[in-house]
Amino acid sequence: MSFEPKIVGFLCQWCSYTGADLAGTSRIQYRPNIRVIRLMCSARVDPSFIAKSLADGADGVLVCGCHPGDCHYAEGNYKTMRRFPFLKKMLAAYGIEDERVRLEWVSASEGQRFADVVNDMTERIRLLGPSRVRSKLQTDKAER
Amino acid sequence: MHNSKIGVYLCNCGTNIAKIVDCPALREYAEALPNVVVSKEYKYMCSNPGQEMIIQDIKDHGLDRVVVAACSPRMHERTFRSAIQTAGLNPYMFEMANIREQCSWVHEDTWAATEKAKALTKAAVLRVLHHEPLERMSVKMCPSTLVIGGGIAGLTTALDLAEAGQQVYIVEKKDQLGGNLARVDLTAPYLDSARDLLTERITRVRENNKIEVMLNSQLKSLEGFVGNFVAAIQIQDGRPVAETKKLEVGNVVVCTGYKEFDAGRITHYGYGKLPNVITSFEFEKMLKAGRVETKEGRIPQYVAIIHCVGSRSQEFHGYCSRVCCMTALKYAHEIKSAIPKCYVSDVYIDMHAFGKGHEDFYKRTSEVKTLFLMYGKNERPVIRKADRGDDCEMLIEVNEKLSGEVIEIPADLVILMVGMEAREDSSEVARSVNISQDKEGWFIESHPKLDPVATTTDGIYIAGTCASPKDIPDTVAQARAAAARILGKIARGKIDVEAVYAEVNQDYCSGCRMCNELCPYSAIEYDEQKRRSKVISAVCKACGACVSSCPSGAIKGRHFTDRQIYAQIEGVLA
Amino acid sequence: MPIRINPKLIDELELFGSEDVQNCYHCGNCSAVCPHADEVFVFPRRSMRSLQMGLERKLERSIEPWLCYYCGQCSEQCPRNAEPGETMMSLRRWLISRYDFTGLSRLFYKSWKTELAAVVLIAVLAAAGLLAYGFGQGSIHIYDGVGAFLPSSAIHVFDLTIGSLMLLFLLANSIRMWWLIMNRNGESTPWWLYLRKSYLLPWHFFTQKRYAECESGKPASVHMPWLAHLGLMLGYATMLVLVMLFLPALQEGPQIRWSTHAFGYLASIGLLVGTIYMIHGRLKKSQVQYVHSHGSDWIFLILLFLIAISGVLQHILHRIGLPVAANITYVVHLAFVVPWLLRMPFTKWAHMIYRTLAMYFAGIRREALAKQIAVADTVQQLRPAA
Repeated sequence: MSFEPKIVGFLCQWCSYTGADLAGTSRIQYRPNIRVIRLMCSARVDPSFIAKSLADGADGVLVCGCHPGDCHYAEGNYKTMRRFPFLKKMLAAYGIEDERVRLEWVSASEGQRFADVVNDMTERIRLLGPSRVRSKLQTDKAER
Repeated sequence: MHNSKIGVYLCNCGTNIAKIVDCPALREYAEALPNVVVSKEYKYMCSNPGQEMIIQDIKDHGLDRVVVAACSPRMHERTFRSAIQTAGLNPYMFEMANIREQCSWVHEDTWAATEKAKALTKAAVLRVLHHEPLERMSVKMCPSTLVIGGGIAGLTTALDLAEAGQQVYIVEKKDQLGGNLARVDLTAPYLDSARDLLTERITRVRENNKIEVMLNSQLKSLEGFVGNFVAAIQIQDGRPVAETKKLEVGNVVVCTGYKEFDAGRITHYGYGKLPNVITSFEFEKMLKAGRVETKEGRIPQYVAIIHCVGSRSQEFHGYCSRVCCMTALKYAHEIKSAIPKCYVSDVYIDMHAFGKGHEDFYKRTSEVKTLFLMYGKNERPVIRKADRGDDCEMLIEVNEKLSGEVIEIPADLVILMVGMEAREDSSEVARSVNISQDKEGWFIESHPKLDPVATTTDGIYIAGTCASPKDIPDTVAQARAAAARILGKIARGKIDVEAVYAEVNQDYCSGCRMCNELCPYSAIEYDEQKRRSKVISAVCKACGACVSSCPSGAIKGRHFTDRQIYAQIEGVLA
Repeated sequence: MPIRINPKLIDELELFGSEDVQNCYHCGNCSAVCPHADEVFVFPRRSMRSLQMGLERKLERSIEPWLCYYCGQCSEQCPRNAEPGETMMSLRRWLISRYDFTGLSRLFYKSWKTELAAVVLIAVLAAAGLLAYGFGQGSIHIYDGVGAFLPSSAIHVFDLTIGSLMLLFLLANSIRMWWLIMNRNGESTPWWLYLRKSYLLPWHFFTQKRYAECESGKPASVHMPWLAHLGLMLGYATMLVLVMLFLPALQEGPQIRWSTHAFGYLASIGLLVGTIYMIHGRLKKSQVQYVHSHGSDWIFLILLFLIAISGVLQHILHRIGLPVAANITYVVHLAFVVPWLLRMPFTKWAHMIYRTLAMYFAGIRREALAKQIAVADTVQQLRPAA
């Protein structure tokens, strides 16, 4: 049985969540590996959310926001954009592969794009294999 | 919290969800989740019986929190919130799991979809345990309205509002009212004069003392929120020096219109090189002057009209500009009445005669011997100069679809039906009022079918061609719809503002002031005496930028707290 | 090479009787409902389109107008009232005028007054000539035999001369028709196909069976036009043969010679019933195809009716022993017949030959195409798998 990644998605209400809904109304099919959590803006994404997701066993984390310049709250996505490189550096220090955490811009009319991003990320992480944290957690559970 | 009683309700949505997600299994799974005392499934949760079921269960089982796993919260969060409010619960003690738009509609694998639905439901249940009751605020609704754009849409909206007794401000960039319609002579299909239509409107606007018109003016910035906007207008109108005026308005209607496609971008048509290839608007000028003639002043013996210039093509714009087909027929009529001996060829892809009176108009245009020639979407006609000795000035080569032949059409004058495009300043407008544009630049409405004049930003409405290409009847309908919506809001007198905002815990706050600069709405003020930051709740839009940046973790994003999100993460990964 | 369109052609065709062809917006209902259209010959829409766009050369070389028998169902189905049936009729008139190298046909079709004037002029001249001849060499009191006013031997020669002259014109025009239709760029049809399909000529000429195949919701009324037309056509074909080859036997009298006269009576019945039915139909506009009448249609029918009536009358008058009245009526009869014969290659009557030829050519073209497709298929099968 091939490995099925578990991906957590943080989507902003105004653009990316709406875009994902549009993929739904258009019946565009994509991989079922993603689980979405709705936030008002991508700027709300606290680094602890991503850390916790990975710690709790996610193989990947996707953060989606509005395209730069189109943020419903004017500048939120710029803040997200600035925070991300720092976060990635920190995660790298923990040995978490770069491709496991991803920031994408998806607008409210980009249902197809959302589906494409999810599919692409799922396959890349499938190739990477399960996150070491998850494997460690599973062996811990087994040992107990 | 440990004594909480949660009711979980799974919607089948007919077969929309039930076809893919194993609802009975999901219901069973939900029943076993912590604090869940009721777990039910139903065909249509949003229906009256569905809502009644929830209300009854709240009373019977003493539920204090409710989870509904169904469609997107963007569809029915409001519906269920008011349902539980009817039963006496605070509307914020509610959470929805999206198992339709983001589950059953996008996954074919029924096992995987069911597993995902279970995870999302669990996440909702774990989250709702941490919800707190929140109270909505009521703020005043300023009854004045700002209308951006003085074309037919703006004038119509303004009149409806003013005649209901409300104050309206019209901001128009140019030095006259009327917009693009002022450049048109007659309108299809009944050939009424555009000037008559506009003059009637403009006169009534000018005479109405509730409408203030500002020409040569622009919106510089818009601050505030619905019912309480402050618009900064830069006004030139008649003044020697431009001045900025601040207006307090409750709602804004955007009626900025469109611009026409630049025909020079299609080299096959020779626009800009061949002198007698003109655009539809240039032809309107001729019609208004009352003379149909070539650049050299001759009466044309052959006229050709080409449809879909810049529209319905992958290269330029994929959409149909909607008005050009009927306008082209109007031109055929006008040419035939001005020059009865003229031979008119109409070169089209499809004839879009969708509206009232359109098919009859098309038939009447055929009857006066307009020759209709069909070309394929991906094979544009090519215009070239005719040879010396020919009885016409230009020849148009077309791969004609109805006959299957490649033909040459003689033409002394060619009219290009240029399509509609979003204006160059549309992104500036969108940014200043905080609405979005689609990839073609048209403003996005709240819902294309169910809510075509509102936008996702409360208090901002769009009407007319700035939202998408449309003809005059539809523009006027939208303009009046926007006015009606606003009048409804004004009638209530006040507006309920979302109870979701950020809060600074004064004990945890260290006074570092990092949040002050972050807020795009300047909703956080610093108390110099207490040396603490505080959020102005009425202005806060709840984006959460400050919440995630506070190094002390002092800011709580109501209804999107860290605790709630952590619970969701745990739920989806279980 | 792109073809230059000619928007002026519609104006010309209006003189030939076409109406409202510009209304057609090419929904294709007409071609769909036409009982005679198929994948090889698609009509009437194709002809409507060529006319709208003024593709003269294409129209001149088309067979489709001749394949139509004007059942009128296309006009009934047309959602735009573009009258495809009448357009096909006007195209037939136009084609007759195009096949004719003299230009007389075009003149007559464009102005029925010119045609009428020509008919009257020729009738008067013929009458004058015949009277002069009759008085010059015979007695008006004698109809038949020695000293007859208009002896059958002389009339016989007269008839044959005119007939042969007209046949020559017809032959020339038919060759032009063949040239236009069958001699298209590069396409050569094998000669043996002409032989193979030659049975089509007598078949269509004598039965016009395709006319009966025009379906309709009301079966009886369609067969009526076919039967009436068949009667009319066989009537004058018989009369023509009798007059051209058996004139002496026909004129002999006053006893009735049943072996010859029987044919004459049948033919006359056919002619009279046919013309009366059609004139009545056109007056009452009883069928779709009778709603529109061009000047040439009236002249054709009325002249033929007058010929039939005067022919019957002069025969009766002779048999009941009124030679003077019979001779006068005979002169009148011949005064009608002469312009009738002279008009033949230039007017509606020519469809007798053109339509028959068209069915023949269509049959050949169909077979040639089928063979081409068969050859192409065979080549495809024999080609080694790539």
